[in-house]
Amino acid sequence: MSRLGFWSPSLARRLGAGAGVWVLAWAAMATLDGQVGQVGLAGLAMLLVLASALATLWWPMAVSLTVTALSVLGFNWWFVPPRHTFAVDLRQDALLLGGMLAVSWVVAAVVARQRQLAEQARRLALQADQLRQLGDALRDTDDPVEQARPLHATLAALLQTPPTLLVLRGTLPAQDDPAAALIVGEHDAHVLSGLWHCTRQAQAFGPGTGRHADLPEWYLPLRGRQAAFGALRVGFAALAPPGDGVRVQAQALCDQMGLALQRAQVRREAADAQRQAQLQGLRNALLAAISHDYRTPLAAIMGAASSLQEQGERLSPAQRQRFAQSIVDETVQLGRLTDNTLQLARLDSPEVQLLLDWESAEELVGSVLQRARRHDPTRRVRARLEPGLPLVRCDAILLTQLLDNLIDNALKYSPAEAPVELLVRRQGEHIVFAVRDRGPGIAPGWRERVFEVFQRGEFAPHGGQRRGAGVGLAVCRAIARAHGGELKLRPRGHGGTSFECWLPAAPPPTIEEGSSCA
Amino acid sequence: MRLSVLLVEDDRELRNTLREALAVEGYEVRTAASLSEGLALLQHTTVDLVLLDLSLPDGDGDTLLATLRRRQTTPLIVVSAREGEGQKVRLLDAGADDYLVKPFGVAELLARMRVALRHRGTQLRPSITRYARDGLSIDLAAREVQLDGAAVRLTPTEFNLLARLVRNAGQVVTHRQLLADVWGADFTAHTHYLRLYMGQLRAKLEREPAEPRLLLTEPGVGYRLAEPHDDEA
Repeated sequence: MSRLGFWSPSLARRLGAGAGVWVLAWAAMATLDGQVGQVGLAGLAMLLVLASALATLWWPMAVSLTVTALSVLGFNWWFVPPRHTFAVDLRQDALLLGGMLAVSWVVAAVVARQRQLAEQARRLALQADQLRQLGDALRDTDDPVEQARPLHATLAALLQTPPTLLVLRGTLPAQDDPAAALIVGEHDAHVLSGLWHCTRQAQAFGPGTGRHADLPEWYLPLRGRQAAFGALRVGFAALAPPGDGVRVQAQALCDQMGLALQRAQVRREAADAQRQAQLQGLRNALLAAISHDYRTPLAAIMGAASSLQEQGERLSPAQRQRFAQSIVDETVQLGRLTDNTLQLARLDSPEVQLLLDWESAEELVGSVLQRARRHDPTRRVRARLEPGLPLVRCDAILLTQLLDNLIDNALKYSPAEAPVELLVRRQGEHIVFAVRDRGPGIAPGWRERVFEVFQRGEFAPHGGQRRGAGVGLAVCRAIARAHGGELKLRPRGHGGTSFECWLPAAPPPTIEEGSSCA
Repeated sequence: MRLSVLLVEDDRELRNTLREALAVEGYEVRTAASLSEGLALLQHTTVDLVLLDLSLPDGDGDTLLATLRRRQTTPLIVVSAREGEGQKVRLLDAGADDYLVKPFGVAELLARMRVALRHRGTQLRPSITRYARDGLSIDLAAREVQLDGAAVRLTPTEFNLLARLVRNAGQVVTHRQLLADVWGADFTAHTHYLRLYMGQLRAKLEREPAEPRLLLTEPGVGYRLAEPHDDEA
């Protein structure tokens, strides 16, 4: 039933339609009455019965029954002899009148009942449809909070008044915190505190709910399995509360939202737990690394330094120089290992922020070469850049770290006289930085494992234990992926390996003409 | 007269090692283990150069830099532990002369100190207008650039960019400083202008543009024109 008052436009239209039928029927009866010869009293009576049945299609049953009763009286007054009295001459006329009234009432009652059933079926179908649509929308979304506004609109249509909806974004905060929830609809401090209270209690309040029946409003919780994930407030200040059916439907919609919010929370918690587990895994790997990858260079430094300390005078100047050099070299290795380990931990965190800028491939290669030359006195590393390369959108520090690592590995894992090439080319929608060596290559079984944290290839040329690749390739791949690219390994035709960093080529920035006026 | 250096570093081992290494080179070294100690020393004495560690037990190094820059132009070199590249750039923009990332070698430290001391007080002395290294000679006053004795033609923007680097030869100049000084304050985010013009400069001035020896890139920070050779100047 409408809450916008008895005189809703549709009701007025329906009353008009019923009244029209009666007017037509009376006009017909009045016209046909003049030809009583042809149309008997029973014929006229049929018109009245017909009008009564038709009017019931539009009119509420009570109205229809009353009007039918009045019409039978009127029929008696005007048409049944003696006319213009309520007396009835003949017994058959009395029977006719009684039968007419009875048949009309029965027909009216049946039609009204049918109409009521049809209305109920339509409402149920509508409500089922609302629930189904909400269910579909919630199933298709990753974050049910996004569905708060559509749900609010559905509820407003159902309740025929805009309600206020509070939807928790995450878990229930200890204090009422507006930032922890999305609030849709008009609200003031009173409404807010009611919504939070309802959410915390996970119970409905207001008329018909069994709690606080005197309230001029409803508070319905968005119930999950154990707790509520928000609440709905419906105010109907001066109007009568809508029926229980509407409240039950509103509660069903709210509960569907509540369950979806709970599922989303469970998903979030599972993802968090998985992240925690990964973090723990990484931490364990880091600890394992410290026990080996850090201790080995530390042992070399300790050996050289303590030898200088204890045997200083007995060592030849060349020996002293060699020990000092070994300390410097091992320290550089330790520094690189530390940088890589820290970078890996940083890139692993979900909120890592890259300092993206437009970088020139030539400059990146230039600064990498400048650093590489310190460990590459014989100039084994050669760079080749395709002419006309576009600027690359990347984090310069990370990308140079990636290239440093690849070149360091290539120098370490290939024979001392073999060249190492650093090539930059454009390939379709990508800029490819390739570091290629003529080392012994990587066994097929190791081609994926070399990218795992702290795996060390047994592909060193002379079987000796080589150090330093422990995190290097893992961090390189992490850097490439953080840029939306990929690090690939490709065995080369005549021996050796090519590590290729594929970065997506972004549309280059424009240079304004005349900007270089300074 | 011996040049005096203030070393603000909280790690005892590094502080002692550097003090000895610098003393061997003839510097008079004063050390401070905390921010407050460093500030107190600067209050009462004047030094020729400051070496500043960023993370100190009682605060961040930039406080000292800000205090120092309010009063004097004493060269200051930041010694950082590779955390937060953004911080490094911020300090350079705030007036630090250069930075070194830990761990670093003594040779590198001494080279940076020499450059910083050469630029000391450029506001008072006639600023550096000539540069020479590896066959490249630049005379800013005459607006002349020569490579192996042959004149090189530069566009006005290329020349301004090069001139800005010459004035701080040997020192890193941040992207922001270059863009603001050559293009103007509105262009400080247009790093791609620098990429373009530095590429053009390298093509004209470097023997091997892909492996520059003069116009050096400091990734994520800025550019550095290699230290000039004094004997060629």
